[in-house]
Amino acid sequence: MPSNTRRRRVNALIDIGLMAICILLLMPLLLLIANGFKTPEEMLTWPPTLLPREPTLDNFHKVFTETLLLRWIFNSLAFAILSTIAIVATSALAGYIIGKFPFRTVNVIFVLFLATAIIPFEVYMIPLYFQVKALGALNSIGGLLIGYLVMSFGIFLIRQNVITSIPDELLEAARIDGAGEFWIFRYIALPLLKGPLAALAVLAFFQAWTTFAWPIIVMTRKTSFTIEVGLANFQSAYTVELSLLSAASAAVMVPSVLAFVLLRRHFVEGIAASGMKE
Amino acid sequence: MASVEIKDLQKSFGDVETLHGISFSIPDGAFVALVGPSGCGKSTILRLIAGLEEITSGEVLIDGRVINEEESKNRNIAMVFQNYALYPHMTVAQNMGFSLRLLKKSKSEIDQAVRDAAEILGIGELLSRYPKQLSGGQRQRVAMGRAIVRQPQVFLFDEPLSNLDAKLRVQMRAELKSLHRRLGTTTIYVTHDQIEAMTMADIVVVMREGRVEQAGRPLDIYDNPANQFIAGFIGSPAMNFLPVSTQMGSAELVFADGQTLAVAKYTNLAGSYTLGMRPEHLRSNNDTRGLQTTIESIEQTGSETLLQATLAGQPITILLRERFNVEFGEILPVTVDQAVLELFDIENGARIDVPNH
Repeated sequence: MPSNTRRRRVNALIDIGLMAICILLLMPLLLLIANGFKTPEEMLTWPPTLLPREPTLDNFHKVFTETLLLRWIFNSLAFAILSTIAIVATSALAGYIIGKFPFRTVNVIFVLFLATAIIPFEVYMIPLYFQVKALGALNSIGGLLIGYLVMSFGIFLIRQNVITSIPDELLEAARIDGAGEFWIFRYIALPLLKGPLAALAVLAFFQAWTTFAWPIIVMTRKTSFTIEVGLANFQSAYTVELSLLSAASAAVMVPSVLAFVLLRRHFVEGIAASGMKE
Repeated sequence: MASVEIKDLQKSFGDVETLHGISFSIPDGAFVALVGPSGCGKSTILRLIAGLEEITSGEVLIDGRVINEEESKNRNIAMVFQNYALYPHMTVAQNMGFSLRLLKKSKSEIDQAVRDAAEILGIGELLSRYPKQLSGGQRQRVAMGRAIVRQPQVFLFDEPLSNLDAKLRVQMRAELKSLHRRLGTTTIYVTHDQIEAMTMADIVVVMREGRVEQAGRPLDIYDNPANQFIAGFIGSPAMNFLPVSTQMGSAELVFADGQTLAVAKYTNLAGSYTLGMRPEHLRSNNDTRGLQTTIESIEQTGSETLLQATLAGQPITILLRERFNVEFGEILPVTVDQAVLELFDIENGARIDVPNH
């Protein structure tokens, strides 16, 4: 069957093409991880090696003992986790109420929420900084969290899911059965929103984990840096020690990759499928 | 168990009034069907009784107590929704025990009540499944189970069978009816299917455009429809309507093509009317003096023969309870029993009653 073999050959070519693109995309990441295990001399050789010739853990040892990396990771984790909890909680409540109690005032508030998404954070970052300063919350997780408690996209995402996947009859049945409104939210709505909330949690976590501009102006003391700010600090303070920076970056990737792997299934479900029609 | 009384119930959504003063009463333990075409307000009545919508004016009484201001959960009612509204993340047992859990009953009490209800409905083996693992009929039973577990005073059903296929619908109809006989709970059943209403209910309330057109026993409504709308709505296949005219002192109804039908009870009428004849009341007995109809189509179901024909240029349906051989285009004379004919006002559709009859 000539047509069959030709199709198979075309498919193989497509596969090879896709593999090549994958490798190109993964290359910087792989190099970064590999660099973490290289000696400073090997780092500067040309052409660069993908597998270290003399693998060493010195770089990791150094960044964890001689820098504040662990402290920064802790700061970032605390910030990201608290921000995620806050965003998931506010989005679930607000999205549910906007989706299921569409009074005119509620709709106006929803439009206002959405409008905040149009204004870039950088526009009100500085006024916000002065407010945080006035509150005496500089260099604290609390100050960092202001601005990362609510996500307008999160409210929108949950509202859409509430509208498409929680029929009114479910809530009405629960009301007739004798449930109060908070009970309905807690025991009917929340379990049905598990998928989208997990997806939102991933988004919120990464948003906080990778944010840079806000922490760098709010966190001025070295001990209160988040990991992103800390990594940037490597360049000046340690005169761009590439091997150390690589090791630190590789170490920093672990929590975010872990979070994604754990929540991946929910993430895909929550983003892709907004309906749960049987 | 309880009686339910609806007094001058009105409901407006914004400027649009959807219920224009509904009144009827339901005796303790009765099975009442609210029936009417879609948009007639029958579901709205149910939602007002359930407390899911606010009453604009009028009163709803359960057991003589006005419940207008009561919250749904305090009305002691249970409702079965068209799409069943089973909680997807709970098992059948959890779904059925949900209301009892909210009443803070003990676990053993809840288990017992759920098992009892499951046994009545024959779903004992499904208790640990989730709704998505059930067929349509099973979901329907679980929804009913959830309603009966809490032993409410009144059952509300909102088109509960319309998502089932035809065969299952007939079966569930009988099961619902026997369940009602067994429990004796006052039941209000909303449907657009007049057959469901006729076969299940003790009392049928026929509605149109937010008003009650007629309420009564199913066969009373069938035999004595108050107007042309009800005559056409109740009964399947639907009643035939034909324009006729008659003169004072003459017993003859004259069709558009000049054919006549002598009906003694209408001797003292004059003018133009709409004649109503039920398809099943028409007979073909080779009496050539009968009304001349032209056959348009023949549907044999084995037990009966459904003929579509024209009489005086108007389409009519003839239902014969036997096998019948007739050809397309054939002229078929039919006769009809005078006693079961109805005349309706040509303007407002009201039934014409003849006093000396």
